[in-house]
Amino acid sequence: MVKLSRYLMVPMLGVLMGTTSFAQEMTDVGTPRSETLIVQTFDGKVATPDAQNPFISYAIWRGFRELGWSSLWEMDTASGQSYPELADGMPEVLNAEHTKFRIKIRPGVFWSDGVEFTTADMAYTLDTAFKYREKLTRVSGYTSIVKSWTVIDPYTMEVETSEPSYSFETSMGVYTWGARFVPVPKHIFEPQGENVVTFKNAPAVTLGPYKIKAFDPNGFWQLWERREDWQRSGWGNLGEPKAKYVLYKDFGAEETRTLAFVQNQYDIDTFMSPDSIQAAKARNPNIQTFSDRFPYHDMNDACSWAVYMNQQKAPYDLEAVRWALALSLDLKQVGITALSGQFKVAALPIADTPVTNPIYYEASAQFLNDLTLADGYKPYDPNFGADLVAALKAQGAPESELPTAENIAASFGGGWWKHDPAQAEKLLASVGMTKGADGFFTMPDGSPWVVTLTTPGDWNKNLQRLGFSIADSWKKAGFNVSVQQVDNGEFGSTQSTNSKLDVMLNWGNTCVYNANWRNSWGVFKSDNVKDATSDEPLNGNWMRVTDQGIFDIVTKSASLPTGSAENIANGNAIAQKLTATMQAINLMSIPTTVPTNSTYWTNYSKQDNFYAAPYTWWSSFKKTLVNITPTGK
Amino acid sequence: MTQDAMALPTTRSGLRWRELYWLVNLRLAIGLTIVLILAVGSLVLPLFNTVDPSVQASYWKNLPPSFKHLLGTNALGQDTFWYLVYSVRNSLVLGFVVAIGVTVISTIVGLSAGYIGGSFERVVMLVVDTFITIPLLPILIILGAVIRGSSTFLTVGLVIIIFGWAWGARTVRSMALTLREREFINMARFSGANTLQILVSEIFPYVSAFLLVGFINTVLFAINTEATLAVIGLSKVEVPTLGSIIFWALSYNAMFTGNYIWIVAPIVTTVVLFLGLFLTSTGFNAAFATKRGVA
Amino acid sequence: MGIVQYVAKRLGLFLAVLFIGLTITFFLPRLMPVNPIDGYISQLMSLSSGSLSSEAVAELRVNLEELYGLKGDLLSQYVSYLERVLLRFDFGPSFAYYPATVSDVVLNALPWTLALLLTTTVLGWALGNMVGLVAGYFHTKRLATLLEIVGILIYPIPYYILAVSVILLFAYVFPVFPLSATFPVGEMSLNKLGLILYNAFLPALALVLAGFGWNILSMKALAIATTEEPYVTYARLKGASNWTRMTRYVFRNAMLPQVTALALSIGTIFNGALLTEIIFSYPGVGLIMRTAATGGDYNVLYGVITISIIAVATAGLIIDLIYPLLDPRIRHK
Repeated sequence: MVKLSRYLMVPMLGVLMGTTSFAQEMTDVGTPRSETLIVQTFDGKVATPDAQNPFISYAIWRGFRELGWSSLWEMDTASGQSYPELADGMPEVLNAEHTKFRIKIRPGVFWSDGVEFTTADMAYTLDTAFKYREKLTRVSGYTSIVKSWTVIDPYTMEVETSEPSYSFETSMGVYTWGARFVPVPKHIFEPQGENVVTFKNAPAVTLGPYKIKAFDPNGFWQLWERREDWQRSGWGNLGEPKAKYVLYKDFGAEETRTLAFVQNQYDIDTFMSPDSIQAAKARNPNIQTFSDRFPYHDMNDACSWAVYMNQQKAPYDLEAVRWALALSLDLKQVGITALSGQFKVAALPIADTPVTNPIYYEASAQFLNDLTLADGYKPYDPNFGADLVAALKAQGAPESELPTAENIAASFGGGWWKHDPAQAEKLLASVGMTKGADGFFTMPDGSPWVVTLTTPGDWNKNLQRLGFSIADSWKKAGFNVSVQQVDNGEFGSTQSTNSKLDVMLNWGNTCVYNANWRNSWGVFKSDNVKDATSDEPLNGNWMRVTDQGIFDIVTKSASLPTGSAENIANGNAIAQKLTATMQAINLMSIPTTVPTNSTYWTNYSKQDNFYAAPYTWWSSFKKTLVNITPTGK
Repeated sequence: MTQDAMALPTTRSGLRWRELYWLVNLRLAIGLTIVLILAVGSLVLPLFNTVDPSVQASYWKNLPPSFKHLLGTNALGQDTFWYLVYSVRNSLVLGFVVAIGVTVISTIVGLSAGYIGGSFERVVMLVVDTFITIPLLPILIILGAVIRGSSTFLTVGLVIIIFGWAWGARTVRSMALTLREREFINMARFSGANTLQILVSEIFPYVSAFLLVGFINTVLFAINTEATLAVIGLSKVEVPTLGSIIFWALSYNAMFTGNYIWIVAPIVTTVVLFLGLFLTSTGFNAAFATKRGVA
Repeated sequence: MGIVQYVAKRLGLFLAVLFIGLTITFFLPRLMPVNPIDGYISQLMSLSSGSLSSEAVAELRVNLEELYGLKGDLLSQYVSYLERVLLRFDFGPSFAYYPATVSDVVLNALPWTLALLLTTTVLGWALGNMVGLVAGYFHTKRLATLLEIVGILIYPIPYYILAVSVILLFAYVFPVFPLSATFPVGEMSLNKLGLILYNAFLPALALVLAGFGWNILSMKALAIATTEEPYVTYARLKGASNWTRMTRYVFRNAMLPQVTALALSIGTIFNGALLTEIIFSYPGVGLIMRTAATGGDYNVLYGVITISIIAVATAGLIIDLIYPLLDPRIRHK
C-alpha cells in the first residue's frame, strides 16, 4: 500500500541517505570523469544556448567569461586591483584631461582556430558596434564612452573617450562581473556583413585557453575542452589550466541538486542554502565549505545586501521612519533563522572586506561610534558580533567552530545597529505615527500603513528567506508588512520604477569594493531622479537618493584620480551621509555559499589555502583552474 | 462493505427527519467522522492557542517532537503542530468556498444549457468553451502579481473559481444532453411538469452522484492548485495553508536536512482529509442508490 | 437539423472561441507588472554595476522598443498582433531569447512536451479507467474497495511531492535512473532513443501516477451509476455474463463523459508540463513559459497560450462532432 511504503521510506531514507559515491568512469557527455571539472551553472538553464554573439547576447555565464572570451584588463576581486590580460601593461594616458589613451596588446595571442589576435579585431569590433548601434543590444556600454580610435600597428591602438576617464582599465576592461568590451574575431564576423546583427556565432571561436566542445541545444549544459595551444591563448600566461574538460551543467532545483552533489556528480556548486550545505557535509566528508568555522563561507563579494527604500514616497521620505525600520530589525535573529547564523554584517552601505575595511571602515570607525540621532540616541552597537556568538553557542553551535574573541569582527562584522523597538516607536511618535487599534503603525494622518517588501523568489533562495524573516521581525515590532516575492523580470521593474517601489531587498547600488567608488555611486546624479509617482524607468540610483550634497560630491570627484586621498575621502563622505540619514539599511555581505567536493579534484582555494576568491564565475576561476589538482579517481 | 440501509419510502411532501435514516451507512459514518474531526478540530483548537504559529523564531529551530511541541519545530522556529492546525483550517475554508462556487455555477450553467438547448445553449457553451480553452496555470502565473498583492489569500480562490467552473459545466451539460432523451424525462414532461421541476426533481438526482464526486474533486483541486502556486511562489506563503507549509518545508529542504516530520505531516493530513471527504461522498452515493432501489 | 448545418454551426462556434481566446490572451500579459524592456535593461545594468550612463540606457530603450515591436499604443499593437498571428502565424521575436523568434523557441521545445504528456495522459487515463471500471462494476467486493483506496491515497498527494518522491526513490535510494535528465545531442539513432527514454522515464512515471488516481475514482463513480441502469439489470436477466455486461453495457455508456474529459485534458497539457519540467529538468514548453512569465516576454506567452487554446478548442470541436456518433440518443436532435 502506498501509505505504508511512504512510512517505511522515511527511516529507510535516513539510513540510505548516507550512501556515498559510486565510481563514475565517464561523464554523461562522454569525457573521462577524472579529467573533467563539473560545475553547477550560475544562472540555471540557459534560454538560447546557441546565442553566442557578444554583440547581441549575454554569452557570459556557462564559461564564456572565464574560459572563452578574454579582456584587455582583468580584475582580481580579492585584492581589488586590475591587472593586464590581453593588454601589455596598463593603459598609457596621453593627455592631461585623461581622454586619450594608448593600448598595447601582447603579441602571440591566437584565437582557437589558429588566427592571431591583433588590434584589427578590436578595431573591427568598435567599427561594427558603432555602425549598427541601433540594432545591437549589448554595445551601448562602450559606444557611449568611446569617441574615436586609431590603429597604430597590429599591437598598438589609441582610443579617445568622450568624457575624462580615471579608470580606463575598468571602462574598457573588467570591473567586476565582466567587461563591457568583448573583442570578436574579425575573420569570422566580417564575412557576415550586415547579418552580423542576427549572427548566432555558435559554436564560438574563442580567445581563452578553452574551446567549445559541445553544448546542449536545450540549454542545460556546456562542455569546454582545453586547447592544445593554451599557451597562446588570451590568459595562457597565468599558467596551465589543470582540467582538460570543464562541464557547466544545471542540476536543477536545490532539492535534486543536493542529492546529486552528495553523490559526487559534480564538483563545485553555486549558492546552495546554508542548511543544505550543513546536511550535505554531514553526509559526505568530501564536501567542504570555504572555512571550517563560522561563518563558513567567503564573505568578500563585491556587493552587499541592503534594504532599499523609495525615499521619494511617504513615509520613507522621513528620516525618523527609516531609522525606526532599521532599529526594529532584529538582524541577529533574522540571520539565525534565515541563514543559520552564517553571515557578516556591514553598517556602512559597503561590504566589509579586507579591501574595503582599511579604505572605508577604518576611516569611518569613529563616525559610527559617535553617530547620534536627533534626540541624543546612539544607535551603533559594536558588540553585535559578540552577541551573535553567544546566541549561536546557546543554540548548540560547537565551540570549535565559533570564532575566538579577536576574530569576531573579521568573521561576523564590526558592528551593526541596536535592536530597539522602543526607540523606534519613539522616533515614529515624533513624526506623528502611532499604533492603531489593530496594533500596527499608521500614517501620520491616521490611515493604515502597509509596508510592501519586494524580495526575490526562488531564483535567489538566500535573499528570499532573508526577506520573509525581515518581514517577520518588523511585524513583531508593529509594522504591517506584506511580502512580495517576485521573479527576475519583475524585480528589475520594481527596482527601476518609482511607482512600483515601496521597500525592496537589493544589492545593485552597494557594490563599492575598492577605492573606485564612482563605478557604483556615479549614478547618484540629479538626472537619475524622477517624480515620486512616475512610471518612467530610472537609469540607476536604485536607492532613490535625492541628496544634493551627494550629487555635488559625485560631480566634483569626476576629475580626481581613483586612488588619491581626496577621492577616498569623498567616498567616505558619501558613505557617511548615506548612513547618518539611513538612506538604505545595509545588512550584510553577500554570503557566497559555494561548497566544493574533493572526490575528483582537490586544492580548491579555501580560507587556510587562499589563492583566489572561490567563485566560479569571476576572474578568480581562472586562478582556480590553474591551481587545482586531480585526485586521479 | 455492508450497507445498513433502511429503504423507507419518501413522499413529495418533504423530508421528515425519520426519513433521513436511510442515509446512514458505514462509509458515510467513517467519512463524516474524519471530516468533522479535522474541520471542528482546526476551527476549535486555535481558541486554545496563544502563540501565532506563523511568527518566526518563537522557539529554537528544528527541535524534535516533545510534549511541548507535539510535532517538533521547523527551521523557521515555528511549532509544526500548531502551524498544521491553522493550515488545515485555512485550506478547508479555501477548498469549500471554491468548491461551492464552482459546483453551483457549473451545475446551473451545465444543466440549463444541456436541457434547454437552442440558442441559449449555444451562447452559454460559447462562454464555457472560451473559459475552458484558456489554460489555467499560465493565467495564474500572469495574474500572480495580482494574487500576491491582495490582502487575503482567498483571492487565489476567486481566480480558481473564475477559471475552473467551465470544465464541470461542460461535463454536466453532456450528461444533461444524454438524459434529455431518456424515457422518464419525457414522461415527466408529458405529465405536465415544467422545466424547473424537471431539472430539480428528475435530472438533478441523477447527476448528483457525479456532482458530489466533482465537489470533492474541486475541494482537492483547489487545495492542490493553491499548493502548486505556493510552491512556485505565487501565493501568500506567510498565511498558513497546506500549500504554504509544503512550500516552506521544500524551501528549507526538509527532506534532505532530516526534518521529515515537517514534510510528511502535511502530506499525511491531506491524504486523511481526502479520505474523509471521499468516504463521505461515496457514502452519500451508496445511500442515494439504495433509496432509488438499485443497489 | 441536418448534419451540414450542425457541422457548420459547430465550426462557427470554434472560430468564435478562438477569436475571443486570442483577444483575452493579448490583453492579459499586458496586465503583468513586468515590462520586458525594463527587465532586460535592469539585467544589463546589474551586470555593469550600474555604471552605464543614462544616455546609453535611453538609447538602448528606444532600440529595444523598436525591435520588440512595442511602439505605438495598445490598440495598434493589438491590430498588428491579430494580423501577424492569424494571417502568418508569426508571433514575432522573443524578448528573453532575442533574436530568436518565438516559433523557433516554441517549436524546439514542443515535441518534448507533447511526447511526454500525450503519452502519459493517455496511459494514465487508460489504466485508471480500466481499474475504475472493474472497481465500479464489482463495487460490492473487497477488491473494489482496495483499488479505490489506492486511488484515494495517490490522488491527493501534491504533484510536487509525488515527483520529488519518485526522484528520491528511483534516482537516489535505488539509483536506477538519473537525478536530472541529460539528453544526448547529435543525430537520432536507436541508442539515442534509448537514452531519451531512459532519461524521460521518471517524469513519465510521476505524471502517470498523478493522473491515475483521479481516473480510478471518477470512473468508478460513473460505473456504479451506470451499473444501476435498468438496461444493465435487463442484460443480467437476459443471461449476459459479467464480462459482457461490464464491457458492452456499462463501459460504453460510462465512458462518454470520460472521453470528453480526456479530450479536454489533452488540451490542458501545458499545465501539467510546468512543474514536471522544473523538477526533472525536462526541456519542454513549460520551462519556456516560466522564463517568459518571469521576463515579461509577451510574445512567447502569446505563442504558448495560443497553441494551447487552439489545441483545446480543436479537441472540443472533434468531441462535439464525434459525440453524436457515440451516443445515438442525441444523434437525432
